[in-house]
Amino acid sequence: MSVDEFDPDIERLFARTPSMADNALFVADVEARLASSSRVRALALTLAGLAGGAVAVNQAMHVNVSFASSDAPVAGRALGQGLQAASAGTQNAIQSLLDQVGLANLSLGSMSGMQLFWIATGALIALAAAGVMKLSQEA
Amino acid sequence: MTKSLMDFHDVELAALAAAGGRREFGELVRRHGSAVRALLRRMGAQAAEADDVAQDAFLTAFQRCAEFRGEGTFAAWVKRIAARLYLKRKSKDARYVSEIETEEVAPTIDTPGLVDLDEALKSLNETERLCVSLCHGAGMSHPEIAAAMNLPLGTVKSHVKRGLDKLRARLRPEPPLSGRASHVG
Repeated sequence: MSVDEFDPDIERLFARTPSMADNALFVADVEARLASSSRVRALALTLAGLAGGAVAVNQAMHVNVSFASSDAPVAGRALGQGLQAASAGTQNAIQSLLDQVGLANLSLGSMSGMQLFWIATGALIALAAAGVMKLSQEA
Repeated sequence: MTKSLMDFHDVELAALAAAGGRREFGELVRRHGSAVRALLRRMGAQAAEADDVAQDAFLTAFQRCAEFRGEGTFAAWVKRIAARLYLKRKSKDARYVSEIETEEVAPTIDTPGLVDLDEALKSLNETERLCVSLCHGAGMSHPEIAAAMNLPLGTVKSHVKRGLDKLRARLRPEPPLSGRASHVG
């Protein structure tokens, strides 16, 4: 801005903020639109989470990954054996729980450890998406 | 003792809003909503349109809050966002005057004393009004205005100068000639 254009009086007039009577209504409108856009974002995240979980479960049904084969590196084998042991333990625990509540006919034995792992992962993703939605609504 | 939102500085509120704080951002809207709406009206927007654009500007500001570093004021930052949004909306259905009009607008000597800035701005043509408001209301530089309005830099400078001349004439009218003569005599 050149010297000719600088006019302190005009600058002052522009800087003066008029208080508008309906400012509270305007703030409420903006907050409502923020909440609305937040809900849309949360819904999109939830849908993405569910879709991701579904894809993960679907992949788990078709992929057979074995860390325990003799070709795998030592660390991979150890991890695979650990996962298999953990999943077997989980299956036994669930099976015994089912026995106690009278649902012994429900067999989890046909599912591999990796399938159970991916199903659990899908469920966790869905839970995380739901958590994000809840948090974004509370924020 | 916990601080209420009114105790926070704009920069603090903006940082909290950047982390998703809608309540904190609401406080910023409460503080600066009127200023942003007033700027848009001074640029020539009707009340309803000004409110629409101001709301869009605040929503944009919320999404981009992390970009606000506190180098200028928060109000100035949102005003610039609002001004650009309004220009974008206007550019769809309007072509700004790229040539300087030659007609002279006579100073309004019938107005006693100062008149309201918003009233005085009505004596400017659309492009002058935009240029002056962007320069003095939104704090944009002439090159920024030229780029935003897709006008040559020299044209923007001329519009600002003419607009200011008209504003001065409206806001500080020259005393009537008869009044001057009485001092001379």
